[in-house]
Amino acid sequence: MSGFLTEDDVLERVAPLTRVQLATFVEAEVVTPMESPDGPVFRRMDVVRMELLCELTETYALEPDALGVVMGLVDQLHGVRAELRAVLEALEAESDETRLRVVEVLKVSRAG
Amino acid sequence: MSTDPYAALGLTKTATADDIKKAYRKIAKVSHPDLNPDDTTAEARFKAAQAAYDLLKDPEQRARFDRGEIDASGQEQAQRSYYRDYAEQPGNPYRSRGGRAGFGGDPGGAQGFEGDFGDASDIFAEFMRRQQGSGGRAGGQRGWQTEFSAPGQDRHYALEVSFLDAIFGARSEITLPDGGAIAVQIPAGTRDGQVIRLRGKGAPGFGDGPPGDALITLSVRPHELFERDGDDIRITLPITLDEAVLGGKVEAPTIEGPVNLTVPKGASSGQVLRLRGRGVKRRGSDQRGDQFVELSIRSPRTIDDELAAFMESWRKTNGYNPRGGMTS
Repeated sequence: MSGFLTEDDVLERVAPLTRVQLATFVEAEVVTPMESPDGPVFRRMDVVRMELLCELTETYALEPDALGVVMGLVDQLHGVRAELRAVLEALEAESDETRLRVVEVLKVSRAG
Repeated sequence: MSTDPYAALGLTKTATADDIKKAYRKIAKVSHPDLNPDDTTAEARFKAAQAAYDLLKDPEQRARFDRGEIDASGQEQAQRSYYRDYAEQPGNPYRSRGGRAGFGGDPGGAQGFEGDFGDASDIFAEFMRRQQGSGGRAGGQRGWQTEFSAPGQDRHYALEVSFLDAIFGARSEITLPDGGAIAVQIPAGTRDGQVIRLRGKGAPGFGDGPPGDALITLSVRPHELFERDGDDIRITLPITLDEAVLGGKVEAPTIEGPVNLTVPKGASSGQVLRLRGRGVKRRGSDQRGDQFVELSIRSPRTIDDELAAFMESWRKTNGYNPRGGMTS
């Protein structure tokens, strides 16, 4: 019907996922369905996220709480990476002089 | 990709089922692409190990492979994407949480600070706040408070918008389970998957904490004629045989209604014409994308004797081969 996926769509796409496990993920808030007039729906991003969740569950035998901690860290890592990328892009647009000054500051802070 | 699944796991044929599981877990732990976003070889290692494990974990399949009845590639997975492909997208709702709840507060402080930095982590949010001199706290000092207060939870909503509403902007609303509604302004130039954050429209806060936000993910419905490619619009326009041969003006639909388009003499199917500035307005600028029109020649429904006779005689003296070099 739309760009959003129902629970049944998700279960069909993520092979190892069961309805019970999906409910566990939602309960643990590691994946959050969106409210819609047709009931809870998911994004494509949620599908690949749930593939990762299934793999983490299988590989590390993670309990829901631990899964929440790991995903919190993964999300923070990606968030910081995206922001760092944005800062670097902003720097790219600056003059050579400004960029060199920043590099000098970074060298000093890295050396401790 | 390795054709030997045992090698992909660093094992030989004599490995036990337990060895296989251990080897796979070891590789998965150090090579999962989502846990190693900077390692470009991680995905290849992980995929090879995963394909190998999928094949070898089932004793029956493993025996068939060992007997040579099936090959390793038969088990390879179709193209898959990883969470890291999505994780850095602006507005990823999973990025903005976690760090928000806590002790102490920022009573009101965060409120003057709208939407655009919604998914920025504290370090960046603080930096931007100071640069904008919005009268925030000096030097980023955090006050210490003893009572617990925390922002309310964010609420997540899905909203479908039509193709043209996404381009020109529109007002819409979300009906809440309790019968209430939230008004949503769809910004012009909205892209599929874009997330709108409405401050304070989520669940109420705890203690002195502010209410959470409403995060609305937009899905743009496809259009029957137009296709969007960033700020550009693409369309396939059927033309007649005579229009293709003789050229001339034809009417072409655009997102703002029909315009006249000049088809060049001797046009071919697949030829793409550009209507400059007939695309989508770029956000925060007056510039617009273009519309690209791909021509598609449609022969007449019936070929009358006159046309057929003309073509027969024309071909004798003007034959040409557009497939030159394709079949030799």
